[in-house]
Amino acid sequence: MKLQHHLGGLEGLDSPIQFEKRVFVQEWETRIFGLHTAMMALSDSLRDAVPDYDMDAVPSTFSTTWTWADLRKGAEAMNPFAYFQYRYYEKWLGGITAYLLEHGYLTQEELDAAARRFHEDPAAPLPPAENPPVDDQVVRYLREGDSPRRGPADPAFAVGDGVTVRNPPAAAHTRLPGYLRGRTGAVERVLEGSYTYFCSTGADGLGEPMGVYVVRFEPVEIWGATAEPGAGALYAELYEAYLAPIDQEGHQ
Amino acid sequence: MTAQFGYPSDREEASAAQVRALEALLIEKGVITSGTVDKVLGYFESEMTPLNGRKIVVRAWTDPEFAARLAADTPAAVAELDLPDGMAGAEGEHLAAVVNEPGIHNLVICSLCSCFPWPVLGLPPYWYKDPVFRARAAREPRTVLMELGVPLDDDTEVRVWDSSGHSRWFVVPQRPAGTEGMSEAELAGLVTTESMIGVALADSPPGR
Repeated sequence: MKLQHHLGGLEGLDSPIQFEKRVFVQEWETRIFGLHTAMMALSDSLRDAVPDYDMDAVPSTFSTTWTWADLRKGAEAMNPFAYFQYRYYEKWLGGITAYLLEHGYLTQEELDAAARRFHEDPAAPLPPAENPPVDDQVVRYLREGDSPRRGPADPAFAVGDGVTVRNPPAAAHTRLPGYLRGRTGAVERVLEGSYTYFCSTGADGLGEPMGVYVVRFEPVEIWGATAEPGAGALYAELYEAYLAPIDQEGHQ
Repeated sequence: MTAQFGYPSDREEASAAQVRALEALLIEKGVITSGTVDKVLGYFESEMTPLNGRKIVVRAWTDPEFAARLAADTPAAVAELDLPDGMAGAEGEHLAAVVNEPGIHNLVICSLCSCFPWPVLGLPPYWYKDPVFRARAAREPRTVLMELGVPLDDDTEVRVWDSSGHSRWFVVPQRPAGTEGMSEAELAGLVTTESMIGVALADSPPGR
């Protein structure tokens, strides 16, 4: 199991919530956010997106796939101690740097030299380069998005059905909150249509178009005797691959 | 938490230099332009901000039929309003409003990462991404809300929505008492980002 998949409900984090309302706490964090978002907007995967992006007409040298799944995979691959050690955008910086090196967009030598230069002179200017169609695609992506909703669905479950959450092997990436594994809930809502995911998650089960459900869980079912007194229901949105009919895998 | 970990003495300077190096190299290599990152940031500074969410909430407060449509089909109801182009764009593809009412308080979390309804609320504040918040809010939402100063009656049901799939949930807080006769602009001033995720109530009007 991976700690990052089981963060919800993790015990022992009894320190007060850090109620920091800023989005960015360091100026540099804005830049890594912008880079990540630009890479998503230029991702090769948008060839299959619902808005008909003409990626061949976008004159960027970015030629690979970068989606939320890639960013999340990086965070989920971290040593769990490091996951807690680093601030949110520090994790982004590490993951994105590793991806760009691994895919040959830059070399470690180039990165080290440039970082040294900016460390010595933080105000050194960025190189000038105009290319309006690249920026137009980035803004178009922001306005039109990337929905995974595909054709009609053939949902296996209906509103009110009891479902038990499956317990697939820990994968490089999942959208199944760990605390729900093996728990039983009731279908609250069936999303219209079928949904792909950014990538296949292998034995975890995502990728091909499938139904998606909002499932309602009672806290005592999830947390047992440690459920908070008086807590109301918890709702999660789960792919059909994560759900079994109530009796099939047994109620744990 | 920080005591058990060591950090380099130039922690922030090193990160700043590294991200600047990435941006410079990606510009040099033709991946992005020298204006791309500023374009992204400008979009979230000028268009996709919590102001959109405030307008949605105020309309729901002042038009019960709109509130019903918002709960039933959030994207369609949002599209009725005069908001920036792109409300169904990145991280708004599947918006879903959950509506507070007497006896029901909704709280949105993302225990796996940081899913957030960008077009409605802009980018997520740090507290939302804090592993301690994400861990605790899933298991003890009432305790967390009380700690953050949300007054809850014992019989108020707290519903937690964990953003594990495609829906990007946001909360329509209850309209505070004593706001009859206030203008839409004055009402919008009472709606905070925190109230639209459910870790706060809408502010009370001045003097109450």
